[in-house]
Amino acid sequence: MSESFHEFVVQRSPALSRTAYLLTGDHQLAEDLLQSALARTYRHWRRIHGGDPEAYVRRAMYHQQVSWWRRRRVAERLEAVPTERPRDDHSDATALRLTLDAALRRLTPRQRAVLVLRYYEDLTEAQVAEVLGCSIGTVKRHGHDAVRRLRAIAPELVDRPAERSVR
Amino acid sequence: MTARLRDALRETAEAVPAYDVHDRAVATARRTRRRSVAAALAALALVALVPVGLRAGGAPTTAAATGAGGALPDRVSSPAFGELHATDRPRLGPASVIFSGQAPGLVWREEGSRVVAVGADSDRYRTFTVGYEARTGEDVVLSADGRRVAHGSGSSGEPRVTVIDLVTGRTRDLATGVAGSVTSTPVAWSPDGRRLVVRDTVAIDEQRTDYRSVLSLLPLGGGPRVELAVGPHSGGFGRTVAFAPDGRRLAYEVDRPAPLDSADGRRPADPTGATVRVSDLDGREVSSFTLPPSTWLAGKGAWTPDGRWLTLAVRQGYTWRLRHVDPANGREVRMIDPATGGEAGAARLPWVSGVTAIRLLGWTDAGAAMVVSYLPHPNAPARFDGPLEMDQRSAYGNVGTVRVLALEPGAATARTLLTAPDEVVAVDVADDVVRAGRVREADPPAGLGPRFWLGAGLAGVAGLAVWGVARWRRRRAYGG
Repeated sequence: MSESFHEFVVQRSPALSRTAYLLTGDHQLAEDLLQSALARTYRHWRRIHGGDPEAYVRRAMYHQQVSWWRRRRVAERLEAVPTERPRDDHSDATALRLTLDAALRRLTPRQRAVLVLRYYEDLTEAQVAEVLGCSIGTVKRHGHDAVRRLRAIAPELVDRPAERSVR
Repeated sequence: MTARLRDALRETAEAVPAYDVHDRAVATARRTRRRSVAAALAALALVALVPVGLRAGGAPTTAAATGAGGALPDRVSSPAFGELHATDRPRLGPASVIFSGQAPGLVWREEGSRVVAVGADSDRYRTFTVGYEARTGEDVVLSADGRRVAHGSGSSGEPRVTVIDLVTGRTRDLATGVAGSVTSTPVAWSPDGRRLVVRDTVAIDEQRTDYRSVLSLLPLGGGPRVELAVGPHSGGFGRTVAFAPDGRRLAYEVDRPAPLDSADGRRPADPTGATVRVSDLDGREVSSFTLPPSTWLAGKGAWTPDGRWLTLAVRQGYTWRLRHVDPANGREVRMIDPATGGEAGAARLPWVSGVTAIRLLGWTDAGAAMVVSYLPHPNAPARFDGPLEMDQRSAYGNVGTVRVLALEPGAATARTLLTAPDEVVAVDVADDVVRAGRVREADPPAGLGPRFWLGAGLAGVAGLAVWGVARWRRRRAYGG
């Protein structure tokens, strides 16, 4: 059992790590989140390894990320994390990434989860609702709020700036 | 509009390294599993222990019903936390002893108003609360067969006497019907358990500027109240009541106002003794006599077993002794053993020293007097080798603890039958247990009582239910 779980982790860690990071916006928190989700998966491996364990891990990450105790821990941890800001001497891609990091941190965990599921995992609103265990209306509301907030914080992430499109 | 966002998310994700968390995840999973198993086992253990804890309450006994008479435990202790109540199941059955005081577990609402009843022949404890500072044997009394206890309400709004049947667990409230009564206090049971002597406190006017006391005989089976005496509201009035063994007469103290000190108008600290009155069950006075100073009707067991004489408790300095008097006139009686020609009766009993007072519970079949001795509290504000009224001698601030002693004819010293922890300041013993004179080695309950285990068990079941629901919801949410 342990060996196949190990194989699963080795194979899927890169993708799961990426999702974990997008959900948290912090490497340490992302490691914690992935570790917790994998620990839960390991406990139920016998039951789920014949199905779609990756989907289980992702659901576990989404749920833990938006659960009350996780939010508390994240809030406590985030206070100590200095906000990264894009600097002029970075490349466009780096600047964009740092802008996204900073912007994601200013979203609520649920808004961030909806954003990741919708625009990174490319799930439909109905699929997001199913994964998060909420209504489609709730997904729409969080998605709408998240995009509106991003537009206010970092408009370049949502609407490409005019000067860049010209360049 | 969101293409840029998608690109940014992917570009950001590409830069994320794969986290090496496999080993930590496995360790976390194993630790969580161990904790879950431990928590589930703990909850199951709590649930499983409930019957064990509840069985500690034990099955009721029928000692009184079978005439065994029960036995006096050689010690009592504070009740366990979560001890069963007197009306809980399983029922206690007849009690051998009830006690009260200020010890841990006996204080309820900042008063020593929790009383403990001990089973007739085993260390099963039950508690009940009264609305006042209880002095078992004086204002909370145990019936002769140990089956019932009576206490007052302590409330001036609704004076009543409550009788708890320890065999059935039923309680019954009785009203004396004394007009204007503000409190009703039971002070003695008749030997057959069919009557209670109750002292009512009655305001003398609407403004309640003062009170008077009314002593009554109250039939439990219905019927009119019999008024025995009316007197001043004082600590001594009707404090000690003793039924003759045949239950047809009773002796009781009624206070007599002490003469005013001529010098400054204060009452002298050691008033002349109270009046002892002997009545029949219809309230007719049979006789009465006045006690000398520092002399009291000895207690509920004041009548000798043959019903001929009364027993008084006499203080000399720190030393107390018993002596017999003729109930007709209060004259001392010297009893002679016809076989030896020597003195018999109280004259041959050992004296008791170093106590605030003694109270005679009764006589064993072997001829010993069983008394409660009140040991002085280390910080007692009063002195006990001089004049002091009896209600002060058994007050909790003056008493450190109590002992039940056997005063055996011909013995040099009293034999201790029952000990109690510090701050247990009052005790009453069932007449049947006194007569039998049997003492058993006690093993009082300790730790946590059945009520605690019941609560813990319910909490455990609730915890398991919450855990189960949470687990089910998680499974459903993750779709595993």
